[in-house]
Amino acid sequence: MIEVQSIDKSFAGQRVLRELGFEIPDGRITALLGANGAGKTTCLRIVTGLLRADAGRVLLGGRDVAADPLAARRQLGVVGDREGLYERLTVEEYLTLFARMQGLAGAALRQSLDAVREELELGELWKRRTRGFSQGERMKVSLARALVHRPQHLILDEPTRGLDVLAARLLRRTLLRLRAEGTTILFSSHVMSEVAELSDCVLVMADGRIVGNGSPAELMENTGSDNLEDSFVALAYGSAARSECIEGTPA
Amino acid sequence: MMGLGNFSTRRMAALLRKEMLETWRDRRALWMAVCFSLLFPVMIAGSTTFFVKKHAEETTRLALLGAERAPLLEQRLRSDTLKVDALEQGEPRALLAGDYDVVLQLGEDFAGDYRNFRTPQLYLYVDSSSTATGRAERHLQERLGKLQQLVVGQRLVARGVAPQLLAPWKLEVRDVSTPSGRGAMLLAMVPGLLILTLFVASLATSVDTSAGERERLSLETLLLQPMPAWQVIAAKTLAVASMGWLGSLLAIAAMVALMPAMPLAELGIQQATTTAGVITMGLLLLPLALLVAVVQILLALRSQSFKDAQTQLSILQLAPVTVLMALDMSRVELDHPLWQLVPLVGQQQWLKSLLVGDPVSLPLVLAGSAASLLLVAMAVALGARALRRESLLGAL
Repeated sequence: MIEVQSIDKSFAGQRVLRELGFEIPDGRITALLGANGAGKTTCLRIVTGLLRADAGRVLLGGRDVAADPLAARRQLGVVGDREGLYERLTVEEYLTLFARMQGLAGAALRQSLDAVREELELGELWKRRTRGFSQGERMKVSLARALVHRPQHLILDEPTRGLDVLAARLLRRTLLRLRAEGTTILFSSHVMSEVAELSDCVLVMADGRIVGNGSPAELMENTGSDNLEDSFVALAYGSAARSECIEGTPA
Repeated sequence: MMGLGNFSTRRMAALLRKEMLETWRDRRALWMAVCFSLLFPVMIAGSTTFFVKKHAEETTRLALLGAERAPLLEQRLRSDTLKVDALEQGEPRALLAGDYDVVLQLGEDFAGDYRNFRTPQLYLYVDSSSTATGRAERHLQERLGKLQQLVVGQRLVARGVAPQLLAPWKLEVRDVSTPSGRGAMLLAMVPGLLILTLFVASLATSVDTSAGERERLSLETLLLQPMPAWQVIAAKTLAVASMGWLGSLLAIAAMVALMPAMPLAELGIQQATTTAGVITMGLLLLPLALLVAVVQILLALRSQSFKDAQTQLSILQLAPVTVLMALDMSRVELDHPLWQLVPLVGQQQWLKSLLVGDPVSLPLVLAGSAASLLLVAMAVALGARALRRESLLGAL
């Protein structure tokens, strides 16, 4: 379970997150939506422990991320907004490195590597250095790195950005499989169809706060919209913006 | 204070392997390290040869025309540094264009005038367009002056006058330099250049592993692993230091390989650098290699971008030369043992001693190396703090 409890964060006196709070139960996929600058990436970075909240706390599986970051990271997999690959390493070397840094060794290590190679169809890429990989290939390797130690919690920042159809489909399939295995997944996205297809729960952020929280159907019902995009616009920008978008005139 | 909790040798070894692979597969950095490491021994070999050649050129070659008129003059002028060729005849201009620096011609009546205490005429031919002329002319004038003083003294004695009346004092210049000492002066450049090699050879790697990783956002991925930040800095330091250190080892090896081809014997230098000496020099440089690496990483992490890091570290490269030159120019007495505890200065002193075959004090070497390693540990702790800075992740 991921628990975010009243976190505040400011940069250079500018408040980016305001008493932000939500919970994500195990075995659920939660999407984090928000306009650019709404604070999504800051929120995800605080959840992963890369940034410290000015107030409030984040618990991953009951462990305080700020107080015990190393323990929290052992049950966390992250795919950031850039892949973070090492271009002079082969895929095998890259994944072995991260598996070892997560404490895997011996047969367990070999088993994990074989599993991600199979699941993410990395066979052809396995012995190649990552320099020159396509966006889809980079994302697959990055996802494999996040999953190699079988984390309980998976955080993804706009994971399908720049992916072709097949790569995006593989990613969605993987996320659904992980959910079925009980993994807690939080991802940010701007692609509404993807959010509608994948998410059990949607969090809408605006101005550093959660302004909408519920399943896609609940959000549509609450905002009187017939699609998720309209619901998001109404929640993130206000109903005036929604009317403008739908009717073409101010409400 | 740096916490050592959660230390895992296996995790650290995995990270170190990654850093090493990344470092040694970076052809650009490797090429730069190898080129510079080989460049400076070649430079030293070249300058030594030039020095010896210049030293050989310090011998003045004199053509003495009409030497048969004053056989003693020829004998008295000749010395180790003044080579006199007695010629019965010759054309001064042609002789100067040939092998001679200066030509001295005795007048036709030199013998008669000299015997009768008339002032005989000497003609000194020089080619002022030649760079060697000034030195050769001064050299000959000096010799002639001394000889003249001797003749005057003898003539005064023959007339019962004490020659001391004309010489209230006697100045004798004693040059205490030996060829070996002059060679040592030349070899004194080597430690500074070896230390400079450490800085240059590790520069590209240190920028790539810190500012480069930050710009590629792979640093974030690394920081999300369950490892203390100090281990990340320590692994990077070891990888960067390996490049700098092996660069300087390559330079030492090249230097030793080139020594037989260098005219060291003509400078009176015995090749003091043995295999054991090379190994010792390498070991002495190891703590400094670590210190240089971690300082470079710290600076690169503080910089705004990859390019900014390159600029800052390029300036840092000048540090060893500047510090060592400043110490030389300020005439600070470096003989005090405490100086050997100062990183950079200590290593310079030890390398200098080893190169000329002087012993180094083991306790001082151990203490100096420990001082460098202590600074490394402090810098690693600072680096770990730097990794926790939010601005490092581009959060601002």
